[in-house]
Amino acid sequence: MADILTLVFKNYINQSGKPKDINIITPSKCSTLVVGENVINRSLLLLAAVTAASELGLKVSFFTQVQIQSLPGSLQDDMSNLSPENLKKIKFAYPNSLEDLLQDVASLHEPVSGSAAPPSLIVVDGLERFLRVPGLSGALQQAELASAAHIAALLFDTAAFLTASLEERAAELSPCRVIASFQSEGEGHAGGDPSASEPILSVLDRYFQVRCTLDRDLLSAPGARPQDSWHVYLSGAGIKEASLTKGEEDPNLPKEWHMLLQKNGSMEFTPV
Amino acid sequence: MTDYEMTSCLSAVADQLLKEVQKTYQEKTQIPDDLLIALRFVFGSCALQALDLIDKRSVTCVSSFSGRRAYQVMGGSGLLYTCYTSCHYCPCPAFTYTVLRRNDSLLCKHILAAYLSQAMGLSQQETVSDQQMSSILSGRAAATDT
Repeated sequence: MADILTLVFKNYINQSGKPKDINIITPSKCSTLVVGENVINRSLLLLAAVTAASELGLKVSFFTQVQIQSLPGSLQDDMSNLSPENLKKIKFAYPNSLEDLLQDVASLHEPVSGSAAPPSLIVVDGLERFLRVPGLSGALQQAELASAAHIAALLFDTAAFLTASLEERAAELSPCRVIASFQSEGEGHAGGDPSASEPILSVLDRYFQVRCTLDRDLLSAPGARPQDSWHVYLSGAGIKEASLTKGEEDPNLPKEWHMLLQKNGSMEFTPV
Repeated sequence: MTDYEMTSCLSAVADQLLKEVQKTYQEKTQIPDDLLIALRFVFGSCALQALDLIDKRSVTCVSSFSGRRAYQVMGGSGLLYTCYTSCHYCPCPAFTYTVLRRNDSLLCKHILAAYLSQAMGLSQQETVSDQQMSSILSGRAAATDT
Protein backbone atom coordinates (compact mmCIF):
# COMPACT_ATOMS: atom_id res chain seq x y z
CA MET A 1 0.00 0.00 0.00
CA ALA A 2 1.42 3.43 0.84
CA ASP A 3 3.40 2.56 3.95
CA ILE A 4 5.21 5.85 4.61
CA LEU A 5 2.16 8.05 4.04
CA THR A 6 0.09 5.78 6.28
CA LEU A 7 2.80 6.15 8.94
CA VAL A 8 2.57 9.95 8.57
CA PHE A 9 -1.22 9.83 9.02
CA LYS A 10 -0.79 7.62 12.07
CA ASN A 11 1.93 9.85 13.63
CA TYR A 12 -0.11 13.01 13.24
CA ILE A 13 -3.42 11.47 14.20
CA ASN A 14 -6.01 13.61 15.94
CA GLN A 15 -5.68 12.60 19.60
CA SER A 16 -9.10 13.87 20.59
CA GLY A 17 -10.97 11.62 18.20
CA LYS A 18 -11.48 7.90 18.43
CA PRO A 19 -8.56 6.59 16.37
CA LYS A 20 -8.78 3.07 15.03
CA ASP A 21 -5.98 0.72 16.03
CA ILE A 22 -3.29 0.85 13.35
CA ASN A 23 -0.83 -1.86 14.16
CA ILE A 24 1.09 -3.38 11.30
CA ILE A 25 2.26 -1.22 8.40
CA THR A 26 4.07 -3.54 5.98
CA PRO A 27 6.90 -2.05 3.88
CA SER A 28 5.49 -1.50 0.42
CA LYS A 29 7.09 -1.27 -3.02
CA CYS A 30 4.13 0.71 -4.32
CA SER A 31 4.90 4.15 -5.66
CA THR A 32 2.43 6.84 -4.69
CA LEU A 33 1.17 9.94 -6.50
CA VAL A 34 -0.19 12.66 -4.21
CA VAL A 35 -2.82 14.69 -6.09
CA GLY A 36 -3.98 17.93 -4.51
CA GLU A 37 -3.06 21.60 -4.14
CA ASN A 38 0.68 22.14 -4.36
CA VAL A 39 1.13 23.82 -0.95
CA ILE A 40 -0.59 20.95 0.88
CA ASN A 41 1.13 18.35 -1.33
CA ARG A 42 4.50 19.85 -0.48
CA SER A 43 3.86 19.82 3.28
CA LEU A 44 2.76 16.18 3.11
CA LEU A 45 5.85 15.23 1.09
CA LEU A 46 8.14 16.96 3.61
CA LEU A 47 6.40 15.13 6.47
CA ALA A 48 6.87 11.84 4.58
CA ALA A 49 10.58 12.55 3.98
CA VAL A 50 11.26 13.49 7.62
CA THR A 51 9.24 10.52 8.92
CA ALA A 52 11.14 8.11 6.63
CA ALA A 53 14.52 9.53 7.71
CA SER A 54 13.89 10.03 11.43
CA GLU A 55 11.61 7.11 12.25
CA LEU A 56 12.66 4.46 9.74
CA GLY A 57 16.30 5.57 9.29
CA LEU A 58 15.91 5.63 5.50
CA LYS A 59 17.97 7.68 3.03
CA VAL A 60 15.77 10.07 1.09
CA SER A 61 16.35 11.90 -2.20
CA PHE A 62 14.02 14.90 -2.39
CA PHE A 63 13.62 16.70 -5.73
CA THR A 64 11.84 20.03 -5.96
CA GLN A 65 11.98 23.14 -8.12
CA VAL A 66 11.06 25.45 -5.25
CA GLN A 67 13.54 26.23 -2.47
CA ILE A 68 12.41 25.05 0.97
CA GLN A 69 11.78 28.29 2.90
CA SER A 70 10.04 26.87 5.96
CA LEU A 71 8.99 23.58 7.44
CA PRO A 72 5.35 22.54 7.85
CA GLY A 73 3.81 23.45 11.22
CA SER A 74 3.69 19.79 12.28
CA LEU A 75 7.48 19.60 11.97
CA GLN A 76 8.18 22.93 13.68
CA ASP A 77 6.51 21.52 16.83
CA ASP A 78 8.65 18.37 16.64
CA MET A 79 12.02 19.89 15.72
CA SER A 80 13.49 19.37 19.19
CA ASN A 81 12.76 15.64 18.92
CA LEU A 82 14.45 15.24 15.55
CA SER A 83 18.07 14.17 15.42
CA PRO A 84 20.30 16.19 13.06
CA GLU A 85 22.01 12.94 12.05
CA ASN A 86 18.71 11.52 10.86
CA LEU A 87 17.79 14.73 9.04
CA LYS A 88 21.10 14.50 7.15
CA LYS A 89 19.70 11.37 5.53
CA ILE A 90 17.52 13.66 3.41
CA LYS A 91 19.32 15.01 0.36
CA PHE A 92 17.58 17.88 -1.40
CA ALA A 93 18.13 18.59 -5.09
CA TYR A 94 16.71 21.47 -7.11
CA PRO A 95 16.52 20.54 -10.80
CA ASN A 96 15.50 23.49 -12.98
CA SER A 97 13.86 21.58 -15.77
CA LEU A 98 12.44 18.20 -16.72
CA GLU A 99 15.73 17.36 -18.46
CA ASP A 100 17.66 18.07 -15.24
CA LEU A 101 15.18 16.02 -13.19
CA LEU A 102 15.49 13.08 -15.62
CA GLN A 103 19.28 13.27 -15.39
CA ASP A 104 19.24 13.47 -11.57
CA VAL A 105 16.88 10.48 -11.23
CA ALA A 106 18.75 8.51 -13.89
CA SER A 107 22.01 9.05 -11.90
CA LEU A 108 20.66 7.52 -8.67
CA HIS A 109 22.03 4.09 -9.62
CA GLU A 110 25.62 5.37 -9.77
CA PRO A 111 26.48 5.08 -6.01
CA VAL A 112 25.54 1.37 -6.20
CA SER A 113 28.95 0.70 -7.81
CA GLY A 114 30.62 2.26 -4.75
CA SER A 115 30.13 1.78 -1.03
CA ALA A 116 27.34 4.30 -0.45
CA ALA A 117 23.84 2.90 0.03
CA PRO A 118 21.26 4.19 -2.45
CA PRO A 119 18.13 6.02 -1.24
CA SER A 120 15.13 4.05 0.03
CA LEU A 121 12.73 6.87 -0.76
CA ILE A 122 12.64 9.13 -3.83
CA VAL A 123 10.40 12.17 -3.47
CA VAL A 124 9.47 14.48 -6.35
CA ASP A 125 7.58 17.62 -5.39
CA GLY A 126 5.35 19.29 -8.00
CA LEU A 127 5.60 17.15 -11.13
CA GLU A 128 3.26 19.63 -12.82
CA ARG A 129 5.98 22.30 -12.75
CA PHE A 130 8.27 20.00 -14.72
CA LEU A 131 5.64 18.74 -17.14
CA ARG A 132 3.10 21.41 -17.92
CA VAL A 133 3.63 24.06 -20.55
CA PRO A 134 0.69 26.52 -20.60
CA GLY A 135 -1.31 27.06 -23.77
CA LEU A 136 -0.34 23.86 -25.55
CA SER A 137 -2.54 22.04 -28.02
CA GLY A 138 -2.47 19.10 -30.42
CA ALA A 139 0.96 17.61 -31.07
CA LEU A 140 2.60 19.53 -28.24
CA GLN A 141 0.07 18.12 -25.77
CA GLN A 142 1.15 14.69 -26.99
CA ALA A 143 4.74 15.64 -26.15
CA GLU A 144 3.60 16.42 -22.60
CA LEU A 145 2.11 12.92 -22.32
CA ALA A 146 5.38 11.41 -23.54
CA SER A 147 7.33 13.48 -20.98
CA ALA A 148 4.97 12.41 -18.18
CA ALA A 149 5.41 8.75 -19.15
CA HIS A 150 9.21 9.20 -19.37
CA ILE A 151 9.72 10.59 -15.87
CA ALA A 152 7.13 8.27 -14.28
CA ALA A 153 8.62 5.18 -15.98
CA LEU A 154 12.16 6.25 -15.05
CA LEU A 155 11.12 6.67 -11.41
CA PHE A 156 9.46 3.22 -11.47
CA ASP A 157 12.47 1.54 -13.13
CA THR A 158 14.93 3.29 -10.79
CA ALA A 159 12.97 2.21 -7.70
CA ALA A 160 12.83 -1.39 -8.99
CA PHE A 161 16.61 -1.42 -9.55
CA LEU A 162 17.42 0.22 -6.19
CA THR A 163 15.06 -2.20 -4.39
CA ALA A 164 17.02 -5.16 -5.78
CA SER A 165 20.27 -3.45 -4.82
CA LEU A 166 19.07 -2.69 -1.27
CA GLU A 167 17.86 -6.28 -0.82
CA GLU A 168 21.41 -7.47 -1.59
CA ARG A 169 23.29 -5.05 0.66
CA ALA A 170 20.88 -3.96 3.43
CA ALA A 171 17.54 -5.76 3.35
CA GLU A 172 16.22 -3.70 6.27
CA LEU A 173 16.46 -0.56 4.11
CA SER A 174 14.49 -2.06 1.21
CA PRO A 175 12.30 -1.55 -0.72
CA CYS A 176 12.93 1.75 -2.49
CA ARG A 177 9.66 3.70 -2.77
CA VAL A 178 8.65 6.71 -4.83
CA ILE A 179 6.31 9.47 -3.68
CA ALA A 180 5.58 12.28 -6.13
CA SER A 181 3.03 15.07 -6.11
CA PHE A 182 0.94 16.58 -8.87
CA GLN A 183 -1.52 19.46 -8.88
CA SER A 184 -4.21 18.81 -11.46
CA GLU A 185 -5.48 21.71 -13.56
CA GLY A 186 -8.96 21.22 -12.13
CA GLU A 187 -7.70 21.54 -8.55
CA GLY A 188 -10.00 23.59 -6.42
CA HIS A 189 -13.12 22.42 -8.22
CA ALA A 190 -15.22 20.04 -6.19
CA GLY A 191 -16.08 16.52 -7.27
CA GLY A 192 -15.23 14.31 -10.21
CA ASP A 193 -12.12 12.39 -11.15
CA PRO A 194 -9.44 14.85 -12.40
CA SER A 195 -7.82 12.15 -14.59
CA ALA A 196 -11.04 11.96 -16.63
CA SER A 197 -10.33 15.45 -18.00
CA GLU A 198 -6.55 15.62 -17.62
CA PRO A 199 -4.65 13.18 -19.84
CA ILE A 200 -1.31 13.74 -18.02
CA LEU A 201 -2.84 12.42 -14.81
CA SER A 202 -4.15 9.28 -16.49
CA VAL A 203 -0.64 8.66 -17.90
CA LEU A 204 0.91 9.10 -14.42
CA ASP A 205 -1.68 6.67 -13.01
CA ARG A 206 -0.24 3.96 -15.31
CA TYR A 207 3.04 4.02 -13.40
CA PHE A 208 2.05 4.98 -9.84
CA GLN A 209 0.25 2.06 -8.19
CA VAL A 210 -1.31 4.19 -5.44
CA ARG A 211 -2.94 7.59 -5.70
CA CYS A 212 -3.41 9.72 -2.58
CA THR A 213 -6.06 12.30 -3.42
CA LEU A 214 -6.54 15.42 -1.30
CA ASP A 215 -9.88 17.12 -1.87
CA ARG A 216 -11.28 20.09 0.00
CA ASP A 217 -13.86 18.77 2.44
CA LEU A 218 -16.88 20.89 1.67
CA LEU A 219 -18.73 19.34 4.61
CA SER A 220 -15.99 20.54 6.92
CA ALA A 221 -15.69 19.83 10.59
CA PRO A 222 -17.60 22.12 12.94
CA GLY A 223 -15.66 25.33 13.52
CA ALA A 224 -13.17 24.67 10.72
CA ARG A 225 -12.81 26.94 7.70
CA PRO A 226 -13.51 25.05 4.45
CA GLN A 227 -9.98 25.74 3.18
CA ASP A 228 -8.53 24.01 6.24
CA SER A 229 -10.53 20.81 6.02
CA TRP A 230 -9.48 18.07 3.61
CA HIS A 231 -10.66 14.63 2.57
CA VAL A 232 -7.68 12.32 1.97
CA TYR A 233 -8.17 8.96 0.27
CA LEU A 234 -5.94 6.24 -1.09
CA SER A 235 -6.88 4.43 -4.29
CA GLY A 236 -5.33 2.61 -7.26
CA ALA A 237 -4.05 -0.80 -8.30
CA GLY A 238 -1.67 -1.03 -5.30
CA ILE A 239 -4.59 -0.65 -2.88
CA LYS A 240 -6.71 -3.24 -4.72
CA GLU A 241 -3.83 -5.73 -4.81
CA ALA A 242 -3.04 -5.17 -1.12
CA SER A 243 -6.65 -5.90 -0.21
CA LEU A 244 -6.57 -9.13 -2.27
CA THR A 245 -3.22 -10.33 -0.87
CA LYS A 246 -3.26 -12.27 2.36
CA GLY A 247 -0.12 -10.66 3.77
CA GLU A 248 0.85 -9.55 7.20
CA GLU A 249 -0.57 -6.09 6.71
CA ASP A 250 -3.32 -4.99 9.01
CA PRO A 251 -6.49 -5.44 6.92
CA ASN A 252 -8.07 -2.61 8.91
CA LEU A 253 -5.62 0.03 7.68
CA PRO A 254 -7.83 2.98 6.80
CA LYS A 255 -7.94 4.12 3.17
CA GLU A 256 -9.77 7.38 3.92
CA TRP A 257 -8.79 10.13 6.30
CA HIS A 258 -9.97 13.55 7.24
CA MET A 259 -7.20 16.14 7.51
CA LEU A 260 -7.53 19.36 9.46
CA LEU A 261 -5.03 22.12 8.86
CA GLN A 262 -4.39 23.99 12.11
CA LYS A 263 -3.72 27.75 12.33
CA ASN A 264 0.02 27.10 12.83
CA GLY A 265 0.06 25.00 9.65
CA SER A 266 0.25 21.63 11.41
CA MET A 267 -1.82 18.76 10.04
CA GLU A 268 -4.09 16.47 12.03
CA PHE A 269 -5.46 13.27 10.55
CA THR A 270 -8.55 11.33 11.58
CA PRO A 271 -9.40 7.98 9.97
CA VAL A 272 -12.81 7.94 8.30
CA MET B 1 -14.79 -6.23 -15.94
CA THR B 2 -13.24 -2.86 -15.03
CA ASP B 3 -10.41 -1.23 -17.03
CA TYR B 4 -7.99 -2.10 -14.24
CA GLU B 5 -9.04 -5.76 -14.20
CA MET B 6 -8.91 -5.90 -18.00
CA THR B 7 -5.40 -4.42 -18.11
CA SER B 8 -4.17 -6.72 -15.32
CA CYS B 9 -5.69 -9.71 -17.08
CA LEU B 10 -4.13 -8.79 -20.45
CA SER B 11 -0.74 -8.14 -18.85
CA ALA B 12 -0.88 -11.53 -17.10
CA VAL B 13 -1.73 -13.24 -20.42
CA ALA B 14 1.10 -11.36 -22.16
CA ASP B 15 3.60 -12.32 -19.41
CA GLN B 16 2.56 -15.97 -19.60
CA LEU B 17 2.88 -15.93 -23.38
CA LEU B 18 6.41 -14.46 -23.24
CA LYS B 19 7.42 -17.14 -20.72
CA GLU B 20 6.03 -19.79 -23.06
CA VAL B 21 8.00 -18.30 -25.97
CA GLN B 22 11.18 -18.38 -23.88
CA LYS B 23 10.66 -22.01 -22.78
CA THR B 24 9.80 -23.23 -26.25
CA TYR B 25 12.59 -21.32 -27.97
CA GLN B 26 15.15 -22.74 -25.53
CA GLU B 27 13.95 -26.25 -26.32
CA LYS B 28 13.40 -26.00 -30.09
CA THR B 29 15.32 -22.83 -31.17
CA GLN B 30 12.22 -21.75 -33.07
CA ILE B 31 8.76 -20.41 -32.35
CA PRO B 32 6.04 -22.85 -33.48
CA ASP B 33 3.02 -21.64 -35.46
CA ASP B 34 0.59 -21.87 -32.54
CA LEU B 35 2.73 -19.47 -30.47
CA LEU B 36 3.12 -17.12 -33.44
CA ILE B 37 -0.67 -17.06 -33.78
CA ALA B 38 -0.99 -16.39 -30.04
CA LEU B 39 1.54 -13.52 -30.28
CA ARG B 40 -0.43 -12.05 -33.19
CA PHE B 41 -3.68 -12.44 -31.26
CA VAL B 42 -2.42 -10.76 -28.05
CA PHE B 43 -0.16 -8.06 -29.53
CA GLY B 44 -1.78 -7.46 -32.92
CA SER B 45 0.34 -6.12 -35.78
CA CYS B 46 3.16 -5.28 -33.31
CA ALA B 47 4.03 -8.99 -33.10
CA LEU B 48 5.26 -9.40 -36.70
CA GLN B 49 6.97 -5.99 -36.67
CA ALA B 50 8.77 -6.94 -33.44
CA LEU B 51 9.90 -10.28 -34.88
CA ASP B 52 11.18 -8.40 -37.93
CA LEU B 53 13.26 -6.15 -35.63
CA ILE B 54 14.66 -9.26 -33.92
CA ASP B 55 15.57 -10.80 -37.30
CA LYS B 56 17.55 -7.64 -38.02
CA ARG B 57 19.30 -7.91 -34.62
CA SER B 58 18.00 -4.46 -33.74
CA VAL B 59 17.85 -4.98 -29.95
CA THR B 60 20.82 -4.30 -27.66
CA CYS B 61 20.77 -4.94 -23.93
CA VAL B 62 22.95 -2.23 -22.42
CA SER B 63 24.34 -2.73 -18.91
CA SER B 64 26.64 -0.72 -16.65
CA PHE B 65 28.95 -1.55 -13.73
CA SER B 66 26.23 -0.78 -11.18
CA GLY B 67 24.17 -3.62 -12.68
CA ARG B 68 21.59 -1.26 -14.20
CA ARG B 69 20.24 -2.46 -17.55
CA ALA B 70 18.16 -0.99 -20.36
CA TYR B 71 17.18 -2.03 -23.87
CA GLN B 72 18.04 -0.02 -26.94
CA VAL B 73 16.07 -0.82 -30.07
CA MET B 74 17.03 0.48 -33.51
CA GLY B 75 13.78 1.44 -35.23
CA GLY B 76 13.07 1.07 -38.92
CA SER B 77 13.84 4.76 -39.39
CA GLY B 78 17.32 4.32 -37.92
CA LEU B 79 16.44 6.07 -34.64
CA LEU B 80 17.49 4.41 -31.39
CA TYR B 81 14.78 3.98 -28.73
CA THR B 82 15.61 3.29 -25.07
CA CYS B 83 13.14 1.02 -23.25
CA TYR B 84 13.26 0.17 -19.55
CA THR B 85 13.46 -3.35 -18.15
CA SER B 86 10.82 -3.13 -15.41
CA CYS B 87 7.92 -1.22 -16.98
CA HIS B 88 6.41 -0.39 -20.35
CA TYR B 89 7.92 2.79 -21.78
CA CYS B 90 9.26 3.75 -25.19
CA PRO B 91 9.93 7.25 -26.53
CA CYS B 92 8.57 6.33 -30.01
CA PRO B 93 5.53 8.21 -31.38
CA ALA B 94 3.48 4.98 -31.66
CA PHE B 95 3.78 4.36 -27.92
CA THR B 96 2.63 7.89 -27.12
CA TYR B 97 -0.28 7.75 -29.55
CA THR B 98 -1.63 4.20 -29.40
CA VAL B 99 -0.70 3.27 -25.81
CA LEU B 100 -0.73 6.52 -23.80
CA ARG B 101 -3.24 8.60 -25.70
CA ARG B 102 -5.70 6.17 -27.29
CA ASN B 103 -5.17 3.19 -24.96
CA ASP B 104 -5.48 0.90 -27.99
CA SER B 105 -2.41 -1.27 -27.32
CA LEU B 106 -0.49 -2.74 -24.40
CA LEU B 107 2.87 -1.78 -25.89
CA CYS B 108 4.70 -0.82 -29.09
CA LYS B 109 6.83 -3.00 -31.40
CA HIS B 110 10.08 -1.79 -29.81
CA ILE B 111 9.10 -2.87 -26.30
CA LEU B 112 7.80 -6.21 -27.60
CA ALA B 113 11.00 -6.72 -29.62
CA ALA B 114 13.04 -6.05 -26.45
CA TYR B 115 11.03 -8.59 -24.43
CA LEU B 116 11.00 -11.24 -27.17
CA SER B 117 14.70 -10.89 -27.94
CA GLN B 118 15.46 -11.29 -24.25
CA ALA B 119 13.22 -14.37 -24.07
CA MET B 120 14.89 -15.83 -27.18
CA GLY B 121 18.43 -14.82 -26.17
CA LEU B 122 18.85 -12.86 -29.40
CA SER B 123 19.69 -9.40 -28.11
CA GLN B 124 23.16 -7.95 -28.53
CA GLN B 125 25.06 -7.03 -25.37
CA GLU B 126 26.93 -3.81 -24.63
CA THR B 127 28.61 -2.58 -21.44
CA VAL B 128 28.84 1.14 -20.70
CA SER B 129 30.05 3.25 -17.76
CA ASP B 130 27.57 4.24 -15.03
CA GLN B 131 27.62 7.85 -16.26
CA GLN B 132 26.88 6.73 -19.82
CA MET B 133 24.01 4.60 -18.50
CA SER B 134 22.59 7.66 -16.69
CA SER B 135 22.64 9.63 -19.94
CA ILE B 136 20.98 6.76 -21.82
CA LEU B 137 18.22 6.40 -19.20
CA SER B 138 17.55 10.14 -19.13
CA GLY B 139 17.31 10.28 -22.92
CA ARG B 140 20.33 12.57 -23.27
CA ALA B 141 22.41 10.04 -25.17
CA ALA B 142 22.31 6.75 -27.02
CA ALA B 143 24.92 4.12 -26.10
CA THR B 144 26.82 4.47 -29.35
CA ASP B 145 26.83 8.29 -29.06
CA THR B 146 28.59 8.38 -25.70
